[in-house]
Amino acid sequence: MIISIARKEFAEIVRDGRFKWTATIMVLLLLTAMMAGYQKYTTAVRIQHAAQTGTNQQWLDQGDKNPHSAAHYGNYAFKPAGPLSYFDNGISNYTGTAVFMEAHKQNFAIGRPASDQSAIARFGDLSGANILQLLLPLLIIFLGFTSFSGERESGTLRQVLSMGVTNRQLLWGKALGVGSAVLIVVLPCILVGALALSMAQSVDHAEGMATRLATLSIAYLMYAGIFLFLTLAVSALTRHARTTLMVLVGFWAFTGFLMPKAASEISKFTEPTPAFGKWMADMRAHQLRGFDGVPPFAKFARYTKELFKEYGVTSVGELPMYFVAVRLQKLEEYDYPVFDQHYGMIREAYTSQRKVQDQLGILAPTLPLRSISMAISGTDLIQHVKFMTDAETYRRNMVVKMNDYLSKASVHLNTTYSSSNYMRADEEVFAIVPPFEFEPPNLNTMLAEHRSNFILLFLWLAAAIGLAIFAANRISLERN
Amino acid sequence: MLKLIISHETRQIMRTGALWSILILLIGAIIFASWSGGRSIERQVEGAEAAVTFENGLRDHMRKDTEKYAAQVEAEGGEYKFATVRHAPGSGPPQGTNAGAVGAETSKYVTLPPTGLAALSVGQSDIQLNYLPISLATTLDVTKNLELENPVNLATGSFDIAFVVIFLLPIFILAMSYDLLSSEKERGTLAMILAHPISVRELMASKIISRAAVMLAVVLGFGLIALITVGTGLGTADTWMRFALWILATLLYLAFWFALAVLVNVYGKNSASNGTVLAGIWLILVVITPQLVSMLATTIYPTPSRMELTIAAREAQTEAEKNFMSKLDEYYYDHLEFVPEGDEKAMDFLTLAQANNNSIEKAVRPLYDNFQNQLNKQEALVQRFQYLSPAIMMQLALNEVSGTSADRYEYFLSQVYVFHEEWKEYFSTKFLQRYPLKPADYGSFPEFHYQEQPFGLVIARLVPSLLGMLILFLGVMLVPFLALRNYQVASR
Repeated sequence: MIISIARKEFAEIVRDGRFKWTATIMVLLLLTAMMAGYQKYTTAVRIQHAAQTGTNQQWLDQGDKNPHSAAHYGNYAFKPAGPLSYFDNGISNYTGTAVFMEAHKQNFAIGRPASDQSAIARFGDLSGANILQLLLPLLIIFLGFTSFSGERESGTLRQVLSMGVTNRQLLWGKALGVGSAVLIVVLPCILVGALALSMAQSVDHAEGMATRLATLSIAYLMYAGIFLFLTLAVSALTRHARTTLMVLVGFWAFTGFLMPKAASEISKFTEPTPAFGKWMADMRAHQLRGFDGVPPFAKFARYTKELFKEYGVTSVGELPMYFVAVRLQKLEEYDYPVFDQHYGMIREAYTSQRKVQDQLGILAPTLPLRSISMAISGTDLIQHVKFMTDAETYRRNMVVKMNDYLSKASVHLNTTYSSSNYMRADEEVFAIVPPFEFEPPNLNTMLAEHRSNFILLFLWLAAAIGLAIFAANRISLERN
Repeated sequence: MLKLIISHETRQIMRTGALWSILILLIGAIIFASWSGGRSIERQVEGAEAAVTFENGLRDHMRKDTEKYAAQVEAEGGEYKFATVRHAPGSGPPQGTNAGAVGAETSKYVTLPPTGLAALSVGQSDIQLNYLPISLATTLDVTKNLELENPVNLATGSFDIAFVVIFLLPIFILAMSYDLLSSEKERGTLAMILAHPISVRELMASKIISRAAVMLAVVLGFGLIALITVGTGLGTADTWMRFALWILATLLYLAFWFALAVLVNVYGKNSASNGTVLAGIWLILVVITPQLVSMLATTIYPTPSRMELTIAAREAQTEAEKNFMSKLDEYYYDHLEFVPEGDEKAMDFLTLAQANNNSIEKAVRPLYDNFQNQLNKQEALVQRFQYLSPAIMMQLALNEVSGTSADRYEYFLSQVYVFHEEWKEYFSTKFLQRYPLKPADYGSFPEFHYQEQPFGLVIARLVPSLLGMLILFLGVMLVPFLALRNYQVASR
């Protein structure tokens, strides 16, 4: 029985002109988005590789100079594109792409692509993810909203019920029918996606591509399921097809457009991001007065005394290491906790904001799905935070290596130093700093981070199915 | 007769529960949007103030040192001298007497003030930094900082009044007018109404006018309230002229969507199918077309990669440095505090820093000009393609009206560059002359005053968008207007 209901539903939908239109548009858009995304992705990968190799070479070729000056010259960390960024570009347009790593200063990532784009880039990317998150639900609504209320209006619902079909059979049959109609639109796209994926694998060997694809598919299928059952539920609950449509389109606009922005504003209110000027002023003031209230130069004076005592010397000239380099490194280290606190504050703010937004997913299923999709595509906040942390770790290590080298190699200059008497190092010395390499966060860690989002999606699906069953059970011959 | 129908319709829709829920949602959204838009602008202003205060504080500290030093010179006699080395410890002339040190170690923040309407359309103001540090450093350093914001929030975009108007209002309009004729037909009342001496055109007009009136009353009323609560500069003519343009743009945009509803009603079938068609059109015009145009712009005129630019700029920098550094040594250039006391080269390092910055700037300039050139082409393409979607036109118009557009920022930047030159000129000249800065000089440092875009320019930039929306509205309106002349109830 279920099968024949499904077959009828499917045939009815597929023969409808609207289906052909919407399906064609959707497939075309998906293909365009994937193709454009893939083209951008390969370009991005190529440029990033070239840039990182180039800057690593520049570090070596910077010319003979004092090791500490080399640390000032520094190096750049360039952010690689996420492994599935051609499907979901996530926040990549809004994060900086290059971090300048230099002595004395921790820097933000610069070069935010969105700053170099026209204002209409703010309407969002036409990406596969965006289409599946926004268009797919609308497609499901369009295909399914008349399934009960339409039949009720045309009077066929009474006939069907009088034939002894149970409400459950009716519901599952219709779910199957609408679901398969949706699938024949989405399936080709998934195949294209998988094809692109196998091509991408030759470009970038990201870990766990199969896991990524599987988890993504599950998440999007759950999302589609939520809309499928909500559509059936609302259709069964409402008297007129037009009411069904209005309620569902209203919900779609709410979850897809209104809630993400509202959630973002709410999270900015509960966990405010400091303004750049305020943050910068606070940090610099903190640097000047010292992390613990002792200004760096006073702290170093104290340290000098300890150092002299430790080596039992009375003048700089007798120290077994180059005093200037020690001082450079110490002053560097005094800033670590200040940087950690202030940059950490921003990181925390972003993370708490993300959590608030994820929690609001209880009101809108698009929110948890969006988070999951970005995470698996490697274009989310966790990825970016990891990149920034890696860059800072690299920076500190680079400076330490250069200062240490200077400290050991210039001991003889302690007594006789003038502006024309200092050491020069060459490429061989610079090579003790290994090239920068970004280690993307582990996929399993990412998935664990998003466990609550998976749970939310599951709850939404369960609730939608529950509502659909409840609504289907309410249908009775008497009331129609 | 028209009047009678309008008043009947108005009374009827005012008694519909659905309409009230739509209006309440709309009002709620407007209030939320003004609140969040207001907060966003407030945050920018606070950030600017904190930055200005901090840097002024640093300079003030230096000024006080010079005052002390001047008093000391006065008391003990002798010459008011120039501090030779940065970070000079202990006695002697303080750093504040050295124009090179003051200019290099403190920044002057220049600010782009928000217009009175900025909170109504946050536009690009959340990614542009509206206060920039000016020092002896290169132009590139002026623009390298970004406003801090969670990239997730930036990607999502602001929930401001512009969002409510562009995205939500059309949905509400379509929800209240997708079934203007179809519902009457479905209930069988249309034939009855038309039996009275009234044309379909009049009936349609009255239905639309009554709905539009309610909608407009809400939008304009709450728009005004929003302006009064979160707008600034309410005493200035500029704010009110901008608000007038805001109203004009909103009217045109709303008119288009009402016209579209009429069009679909005339040619549509039943209410449900009207609803599907309208929702589909909304999605295509408001979401897909802008994204497609954006994709087109970045594909036809791809912005050169910032990564490649960074590498190239660095190459130029290395080259420039190598040329200069061959004579003088870069090590002390980074750390003047280590130049041994009495070393004669000390002053040369500061001079070197100046020369070095100049040559980097010269080398990198062409790269950045190329960058900007490509961006301008992209922008021009978007300007041409904006007519494909009223949402694009409206977004560009609202950003323009609210002063949160890219072109106003460019206008600001061009003034910033001029001021940067002025600031460098002032300090480097004094430094090269070894002129000791006196406490009184601190009052005569160059000041930045942003010159607002002439209002004519704002209007000139608005005309294409407004005209485009007007033509679109008239075009969409004309079809049903003509078609309704021969509308047959029975045949449909």
